[in-house]
Amino acid sequence: MSTHNETHDHAHGDEHESWHVHAHVSSVKFMVGIFATLIFLTFITVAVSRVDLGAANGFVAVLVATIKASLVAAFFMHLRWDKPFNALIFVSSFLFLGIFMLFSLDDLNTRGRIDVSNGVKVYARNGERAPGGFTPISAPEHAAGGEHGAAAAGEHAAPAGDHAAPAAHH
Amino acid sequence: MSTHGEEELNTNYLKVGSGVKSWLLTLDHKRIGVMYLVSVILAFFLGGVFALLVRLELLAPGRTIMTAAQYNRAFTLHGAIMVFLFIIPSIPAALGNFILPVMLGAKDVAFPRLNLLSFYVYVVGTIFALFSIISGSVDTGWTFYTPYSTSTNTSVVSMTLAAFILGFSSILTGLNFMVTVHKLRAPGMHWRRLPLFIWGMYATSIIQVLATPVLAITLLLLAMERVFGLGIFDASLGGDPVLFQHFFWFYSHPAVYIMIVPGMAVVSELFATFTRRAIFGYFAIAMSSLGLALVGFLVWAHHMFTAGISEFAAMLFSALTFLVAIPSGVKVFNWTATLYKGSIWLTTPMLYALAFLVQFTIGGLTGLFLGTLATDIHLHDTYFVVAHFHYVMMGGTVMAFLGGLLYWWPKITGKMYDEGLAKISWGFVFVGFNATFLVQFIMGSRGMPRRYYDYLPEYRPYHAFSTVGSWILGVGFLIYAAVLIKSLRSGPKAPPNPWGSAGFEWATESPPVLANFKDVPTITRGPYDYHLVTEEELFDGFPEDAPKKA
Amino acid sequence: MSTASTTEHDAAHGHEHPKWLAHHFDSPTQQFDSAKLGMWIFICTEILMLGGLFVAYGIFRGMEPDVFHHAHEHLNWRLGAVNTVVLLFSSLTAALAVRQSQVGDRKGTTNYLVVTLLCAAVFLCVKYVEYSAKIEHGLLPGRCFGHPGFADHCINAGASVMPAAVHGLTTRASMFFALYFMMTGIHGLHVVIGMGVLGWVLWRNLRGDFSKEYFTAVEIGALYWHLVDLVWIYLFPLLYLVG
Repeated sequence: MSTHNETHDHAHGDEHESWHVHAHVSSVKFMVGIFATLIFLTFITVAVSRVDLGAANGFVAVLVATIKASLVAAFFMHLRWDKPFNALIFVSSFLFLGIFMLFSLDDLNTRGRIDVSNGVKVYARNGERAPGGFTPISAPEHAAGGEHGAAAAGEHAAPAGDHAAPAAHH
Repeated sequence: MSTHGEEELNTNYLKVGSGVKSWLLTLDHKRIGVMYLVSVILAFFLGGVFALLVRLELLAPGRTIMTAAQYNRAFTLHGAIMVFLFIIPSIPAALGNFILPVMLGAKDVAFPRLNLLSFYVYVVGTIFALFSIISGSVDTGWTFYTPYSTSTNTSVVSMTLAAFILGFSSILTGLNFMVTVHKLRAPGMHWRRLPLFIWGMYATSIIQVLATPVLAITLLLLAMERVFGLGIFDASLGGDPVLFQHFFWFYSHPAVYIMIVPGMAVVSELFATFTRRAIFGYFAIAMSSLGLALVGFLVWAHHMFTAGISEFAAMLFSALTFLVAIPSGVKVFNWTATLYKGSIWLTTPMLYALAFLVQFTIGGLTGLFLGTLATDIHLHDTYFVVAHFHYVMMGGTVMAFLGGLLYWWPKITGKMYDEGLAKISWGFVFVGFNATFLVQFIMGSRGMPRRYYDYLPEYRPYHAFSTVGSWILGVGFLIYAAVLIKSLRSGPKAPPNPWGSAGFEWATESPPVLANFKDVPTITRGPYDYHLVTEEELFDGFPEDAPKKA
Repeated sequence: MSTASTTEHDAAHGHEHPKWLAHHFDSPTQQFDSAKLGMWIFICTEILMLGGLFVAYGIFRGMEPDVFHHAHEHLNWRLGAVNTVVLLFSSLTAALAVRQSQVGDRKGTTNYLVVTLLCAAVFLCVKYVEYSAKIEHGLLPGRCFGHPGFADHCINAGASVMPAAVHGLTTRASMFFALYFMMTGIHGLHVVIGMGVLGWVLWRNLRGDFSKEYFTAVEIGALYWHLVDLVWIYLFPLLYLVG
């Protein structure tokens, strides 16, 4: 006969300890405090967005949002006092989302890079130079012309062209 | 749930209540499992009919029995039905639903109502799929690639919704199993005592929960794209058709592990039972299931090497793809090592497990050819891919399903099947399968593209061979069906443990009582502890399992 | 697998099987933890589903940041901010509803749930105002883009030609509104579902199902509601503030 549960989380061990549900009860004051912090952070995020920081704006927005989300998850959703495994599930969902986003971005951001380093845009089908393909980064003066050409030639044929050259857009 | 009296809980689950209502409204995981089983077998039959039609059309070049448009619909329906209606729910929702709680020593899954809901969600999804077939059908292939899927005038939206709904059924099953494994294990059932079937189901559930929602959003976007011209997958509006493939394969690559990992889970049980020894490398097999679940998320773009993704991304994904070979290899080597010096009993389930081992190895190794960037440029979208996929899915998962069904058949129905007839059906299936698909490797490597209606005359011998193989396969399945029907009609009563297995599910009666075990079981040994007992004791039940008075 | 008789087992620990405890669970703790684990897994699923749209947003914003920036100026950030406050407040009241349920205050639970539901209704009303303004201005994406109202031309391919510019925006801005409507639309759907869930919890609370010992449904319903809030916490800055 085995000794009852060493590792499993079945409720057989210390019966009277684990029979009744023990959940953490926060005070009303504490909850309201968290709410006030959330409102304050909302104010911050609005205020920062009024200042033009360039690309950093997006970064700050996501950072503040993540702090807010963590507060909600930890205290309103009780993760702070919950089984660590639940927190692991929550965090891992963001991990997998991160994999999804990074690998997709990795493709879209590096498309056409070999063409760029060779200074041409060629049709994969026959190896001929594509009309209106974007011009290499080293010659930015043709960028505008190349862009229009690609649009006219139909982007179905070469969607990679305009994605791969964000520099040419802006 | 709590309405069952003590007496009902200790009654054979097939005899608790009778009539249609007692089945349709049941919360018993065993009955829900049986309902799933009936549904997936029907879906398999339907998908199989389309497969035979496709093969028949390809018997000769040019038109044989259908037009090109009908052919496009036939292979799409074969794929969509087999993937969404059969393979994904086959082992987890049908066999898993029945066996998983019993193996754990639990009385039911964690959320019985959710379990029933997931079955009905499956039914609704099936209705949408059938509606789509009736109302003009679909000709996009099961992958629904844009921009064709947004422009073809077949009924893509209803098939998309069908897959969307079926996805939720899959998510709910996975969620239920995860919680059940975490919270409802019998006393003494440590993680290290979990049967490998459970480990496989657990890994599958993780994938179902993490990947399927992305399919949902993908299909929703596709439907919106079709209806409103949203533009996310439309290059003329600044969208990207290749992004659809990223979205689709982020789900569908892990989804092939939803299909194969349960197959691996089943054969792990079969090998242990029929070699009469502890499975070699228990921990390695368990962890490799989780490893597959994780690595499956890192390799999806190897389906897109020629779709116009960047060269850098292609290299990255090609390199990562080889990681998949590690957990798969770990499993194959451990199964082989289990066979070594085991006392092998060649029952039909064991024959299916052996077929799995051989065919999965072929399917897996040819996957490496396709994962290699350079060779994939030549082999992509040829019959080589078709053969690879079918060697893994049909040669792997379907074999495991057929074997697992016969293995647990006595537990599910309480009746034995005709071993001789079953062996004959195995022979037909094994020969037919290999005749159908082995030749497709050759055909593909010589350049025959997949999904083509017509072909050059030099491919004719290969196609004809393959089609004849599909007939042998069809006969094999008919005999298999006859085995099941015969058993239901006149099969002898099954003892609790007909195979003399050490698995926990065989410690209860066949078929189990409503509460699965008459008394709360306490697990005191591992699931493969064959060394503890003699051959006779195996069939009579483990001495340690005998009721003890405290 | 040695066995101990079920009755003996229960008697040994001196616990009745309460009627709210399902037969396949051994203890309230086991049932409560299972429900919570299930909900967290479901939340994980939801995050990955909505995450797909965030991935699309990240990709297309990265491609055309200027187009997105100009397009986002057509959203009313003040209304968005109001909705943020409303939703954060509703999250607070949902958390307080759980707290009151934990301490056995049935009336308090009812009150907080009602306030949460009212907040949800306010959120949807503000959303309605926003949506109708966008639709009137012809900012529905895709085939509707540039055509005020929602009519035939949205559905029928070929019935409409996209104008070259809409309110000074290029047609590329349609992508921003496509994402805006998809993200807020699916979020709005979750608000509606969340209202259904909380309404069901409220009904059960009024019926007297819950007690200090058993408040699982309140906890689970609130978790779902917090998820709705979590999603909006990201949507608001990304769509309304930085574009």
